[in-house]
Amino acid sequence: MHELSIACEILEQVTNTAAAHGAVKVKHVTLQMGRLSHTNAEQLSFCFKAIAEETIAEDADFIVEMVPPSLECECGYTGAVDESQIRENSELKSELLAYIAAMDCPICGKSAQITGGRELIIKSIEIETKDDN
Amino acid sequence: MLMHVIHMEHDVFKANDKIAEKNRKKLDKHQVFSVNVMGAIGSGKTTLIEEAVKYLKEKYRIAVIAGDVIAEMDASRFRKLGIPTIPVNTGKECHLDAKLIEKALNEIDLENTDLLIIENVGNLICPVDFKLGEHLRVVIVSVTEGDDIILKHPMIFKTSELAIINKVDVANAVDVNSEKMREDILTLNPNVPVILTSKHDWESLETWISFLELGLKKAQKDKIY
Repeated sequence: MHELSIACEILEQVTNTAAAHGAVKVKHVTLQMGRLSHTNAEQLSFCFKAIAEETIAEDADFIVEMVPPSLECECGYTGAVDESQIRENSELKSELLAYIAAMDCPICGKSAQITGGRELIIKSIEIETKDDN
Repeated sequence: MLMHVIHMEHDVFKANDKIAEKNRKKLDKHQVFSVNVMGAIGSGKTTLIEEAVKYLKEKYRIAVIAGDVIAEMDASRFRKLGIPTIPVNTGKECHLDAKLIEKALNEIDLENTDLLIIENVGNLICPVDFKLGEHLRVVIVSVTEGDDIILKHPMIFKTSELAIINKVDVANAVDVNSEKMREDILTLNPNVPVILTSKHDWESLETWISFLELGLKKAQKDKIY
């Protein structure tokens, strides 16, 4: 469980950026989380809210958008995993495992490189500033 | 009051990757081949590193970074072998990150080191997302964890460059099929070399050690002097 230290890093980045733009309040924090990253969105949100108390981000809505994996294959294919392949593997209980089972190139069937889906990006924040700012 | 949306596009893991790249450059500059040894608690990481150190220390200059949540038990085992050892206590953290390695590298005489072995914290989940700057990522599991351990932790096997299944000598006693474990690893990562090892089978240890030596030699050969 490393959500707390990640939440600390996010809060620091968010409050620094917000302060640099003269914010009095942070209203929204939007993250993009790769489905293959070992981070739990609910725990991260909980940790962020706990440590954001008494900062300008304390009432911020914490929004997490999940990013599906993307692939690159030696045959030249770049793009998403084959969603139908995931459904075929629906007996696999874990979503992560289902995605990994679908990591073969949808064109040529070879095992492809993962190019996306492992990230954790602070995409944007919405801030409130004073009128005269 | 005015509202603004600020686009940040700040990748938290990339921030770690950047420091890892810096570590890698530093290691390359000093021609140090580095290995990140990840694996489950009690899978035999320390023992397999010890065996490699014992064999390789006459030929190469070796240093070890021993990651642990608390205590220095592993570090003192490596020190007994007479090699420079830097213990890194992560405190509450479940993995080593590039920043901790950056700091530890300052305490190592890199100019007089050929091989740096980094023993990560015992964990099959958290170390996956944190690159350290290593040249080789190794994952170690043992049969005592049960033969479903691989599919329960797919990403670490998907992203490793060498996988070791350890303690195969007791597989029957714990009712585990080590060949199934090998097959599971190859299903997740068809190109990864898999080595089955036992502390009591020197030939198997030799395979692991020669893999390290091969990487070491290749890294030294590739350098531009």
